[in-house]
Amino acid sequence: MCGIAGIMFKRNGKDAEVGKALISMLDGVQHRGPDSTGFALYYEPQEGHYRLRFYVGEGDAAAATIERIREKLQDHQARIVEQHNVGCTYAVIVQFHGDLQRFAYDMEHVAKVFSIGESLDIVKDIGGAHDVDDRYKVANFQGTHGIGHVRLATESDVAPDASHPFWATGFADVAIVHNGQITNYWKMRRRLEKRGFAFNTDNDSELIAVYLADKLSQGWKLEAALKESISDLDGTFSFLVSTKDEIGYAKDRLAAKPMVMLENDDMIAIASEEVSLNRLFPGQALNTFEPPPGTFKTWHRSI
Amino acid sequence: MASIDLAVVPVRAANERLRQLGAAGEDIEILNPDARHHIGVGLVHPVTVHIRGSAGYFCAGLTDGPRFVVDNNVGWGLADNMLKGSIVVNGNASAIAGVAIRGAEVIVKGNMGSRAGQVMKAGTLACAGNANFMAGYMMYGGRIVILGDSGDKVGQDMTGGTIYVGGRIVALGTDAKVTDLSSADDDELRAFLDRYELPFRGTFQKIVNAGKNLRYGKTEPRVRVIPYFEASEANGYWNTKVREDIEVKAQIGRYRIRGYGAARPLPHISDLAFRTDLTAIPADPSVVDKVRMRTLLGGRSGAKPLDLSMPVMIAPMSYGALSKSAKVALAHASRLSDTSENTGEGGLSNEQREAAKQIIYQCLSGRLGWNIHDMHRANGLEIYISQGAKPGLGGQLMAKKVTKEIARIRGIPEGIDLRSPSRHPDVLGADDLVIKVEEFREATGYRIPVSVKLGAGRVRDDIKIAYKDGFDFVELDGLQGSTGAAGNEVLEFVGIPTLSAIQEAIDALSEIGAADKLPIVLMGGVKDGIDAAKVLALGATATAVGTSAIIAGGCIACLQCHVGNCVTGIATQDPVHERRYNVPVEAQNIHRYLEAVRWQLASVAHAHGYADVRQFKREDLVALTPEAAAITRLPYDPSLRERDRGGR
Repeated sequence: MCGIAGIMFKRNGKDAEVGKALISMLDGVQHRGPDSTGFALYYEPQEGHYRLRFYVGEGDAAAATIERIREKLQDHQARIVEQHNVGCTYAVIVQFHGDLQRFAYDMEHVAKVFSIGESLDIVKDIGGAHDVDDRYKVANFQGTHGIGHVRLATESDVAPDASHPFWATGFADVAIVHNGQITNYWKMRRRLEKRGFAFNTDNDSELIAVYLADKLSQGWKLEAALKESISDLDGTFSFLVSTKDEIGYAKDRLAAKPMVMLENDDMIAIASEEVSLNRLFPGQALNTFEPPPGTFKTWHRSI
Repeated sequence: MASIDLAVVPVRAANERLRQLGAAGEDIEILNPDARHHIGVGLVHPVTVHIRGSAGYFCAGLTDGPRFVVDNNVGWGLADNMLKGSIVVNGNASAIAGVAIRGAEVIVKGNMGSRAGQVMKAGTLACAGNANFMAGYMMYGGRIVILGDSGDKVGQDMTGGTIYVGGRIVALGTDAKVTDLSSADDDELRAFLDRYELPFRGTFQKIVNAGKNLRYGKTEPRVRVIPYFEASEANGYWNTKVREDIEVKAQIGRYRIRGYGAARPLPHISDLAFRTDLTAIPADPSVVDKVRMRTLLGGRSGAKPLDLSMPVMIAPMSYGALSKSAKVALAHASRLSDTSENTGEGGLSNEQREAAKQIIYQCLSGRLGWNIHDMHRANGLEIYISQGAKPGLGGQLMAKKVTKEIARIRGIPEGIDLRSPSRHPDVLGADDLVIKVEEFREATGYRIPVSVKLGAGRVRDDIKIAYKDGFDFVELDGLQGSTGAAGNEVLEFVGIPTLSAIQEAIDALSEIGAADKLPIVLMGGVKDGIDAAKVLALGATATAVGTSAIIAGGCIACLQCHVGNCVTGIATQDPVHERRYNVPVEAQNIHRYLEAVRWQLASVAHAHGYADVRQFKREDLVALTPEAAAITRLPYDPSLRERDRGGR
């Protein structure tokens, strides 16, 4: 029920204007999802440090939640290096060396976790791309790549924690934006739950994220995991996945959901509609490409 | 040449301007299109429109006559339902290029995305590059010319028309075959390509329908008629209908198709009762004048609403399933009772339009009989997602009814067992649906209400989507609705009862804070004014009657609608049978029935002391059965069963 966008710059080192590009692209497809907007951004990792962003809401309740988060971080010997309470979220950078999955699942008991990663930070909230930027200053973000999502809330509330992107709960640095519907959701989820994985939402995007992250943690290449996903997942989908170093897409065999891409020497940009790509090159004729049904591809950052 | 700059003019204003310029015969260029959707939608004049850049979804959709040129690329649904005229795209086209065209010439100089030419009826879709997955999917006529490679499953389930491939045929779809290309075909093709300056030196391969799936192998046998009223009686596990069904299967070796709806006992409106004892209220001959019933429907987003003298409409039934005479009688009766008619799937005939004062025009997956001109002369538009009798399936019309005239209005080959697609080519999610709704609004200048018909399935989710997508009202159809033809098991077991449907819908709207913001027209087994009153009390804004309206108009409920030999002249296209139908007499019968519904509705309201039918509320009702109580959460009060069912 949405629009998606993703971009990876190939040449600008670590300082490409990823934030600005994603804001423009998502603003372009905002008609597909006016209710909320989200970004998965990738910072340069620091050895032994993790970024965590929690949904805490606003006001007194938020303060209490933040206090509980701090206590829980202490329980796990996660030392806070940096912290910000922005919008409805609480973002921290911690030094942590333990079992990440256990840590992540435990933190979920205190507050809803938007993302955990050495470099991943998911910013999402209600409103359009520019509204979210006003609150979280996404435009300032520079890096190599990121993905984003605009949501039309149909089956659940308009709420920050129901917004996308979703991270792969329990796995660092994997994020998903997805347009479509996975029809064998419960079957796939039960399969993963039997193997001990926890889910924090009933959202099929989270399922795709955990499904892929699980494969990656078993040593699969992202490309191979995407290939497998096209057979394993049933339904209509066009999704983008990102990790610390890679970005990729997969599309269902019926080509039921849209996706347009543009690749040149500078970048790979993918979106639900061409209008997003046009925003990056106003007034120019673009040689865009529509990925065929049942296909997938990945790109690795050059640095 | 006039210029419109989309960097400063919004698409809606640009389209209004385009239509004015078109009417004045002036050519137009569009600057800074920025891949915006709906550019040129609804244009019906033979002017040239030059789009200097890329266009988004539904470029040149719902048009008749103009000549478009696009410098770069286009998004989904290029030239959707274009009648006459042409469009040349110099870049690539995304999915479903040339969807449902009915005569236009659509040229793509680059590549085409998936499902190009889906459900097209006539005209030419030509692509200088490669096509993609399922080009020509479910096409009914016209031709697709692909100079490059065909893509996978080319011609999947094509019914008619021709596909020419200049490159490699990657793989043929189901029921498509390669046939010989005549030199006349070849000459004509090359003349066409020359006209659009598409150089091609190779040779063509020709793909047509293989004819294996156009008809069922065996048709349903003649059976001794068991009337619906007998078939639907709760007379145990093995009954006459079950026996008959088995015998039919023994002859045809597949599921059985029949008319009408579920014929088994299910929780229904009659399992509810008003707390007030209606029998204690003395009859009042002038009660109709004492209760306000006028209902305006569909003004939520600024369109001109339907103006109904009572919240009871005629349910959608197609010209095709029903004879033209039956449709005209229904239309005329709707005028006499000052309410509205509905075209159903089969398009809008002049006779229907003239007979009805207000008519809703339905758009289905196959886009059969759908076009911009009839959109303009409708009073409401309706996107059919599914119907209560067979949710998840498209319409069915057996060959006997697919006559020359029906084939013409629908744009399909004559004499096939028509199985309409189960889903729309361009609606594969709530996000696509938003863009589709906006296309209809753009095409009609936002003047006509746009509604959605939902067969009760996943009501809770569907109704939220309908609200989010900005529909003006919803027609919600429960399992007790009937249909002209469907598989017996589907009719009996697939849908969700009408009672559950309305309860889920009302609950879902409350969940998202939209209670009372989205009018619901509930249908599916409403038989009289008492049912109508109960439906309003449950939270519907209006109701619609289909089965009861045709019974009022002479239907004998024999369940044989699919056969096409309807003895009453209702569910047939055979002139011999149709001649028996006396339109003026039956129109009066239907009208009198509608007036009886009106009188009952007014009486029940009056008995409650209400001066307006909108005063009905949930608290007026109780449930007579545990099942109905569980579904509706109304108090279970079996004590009233005796009162309301005594003697029956």
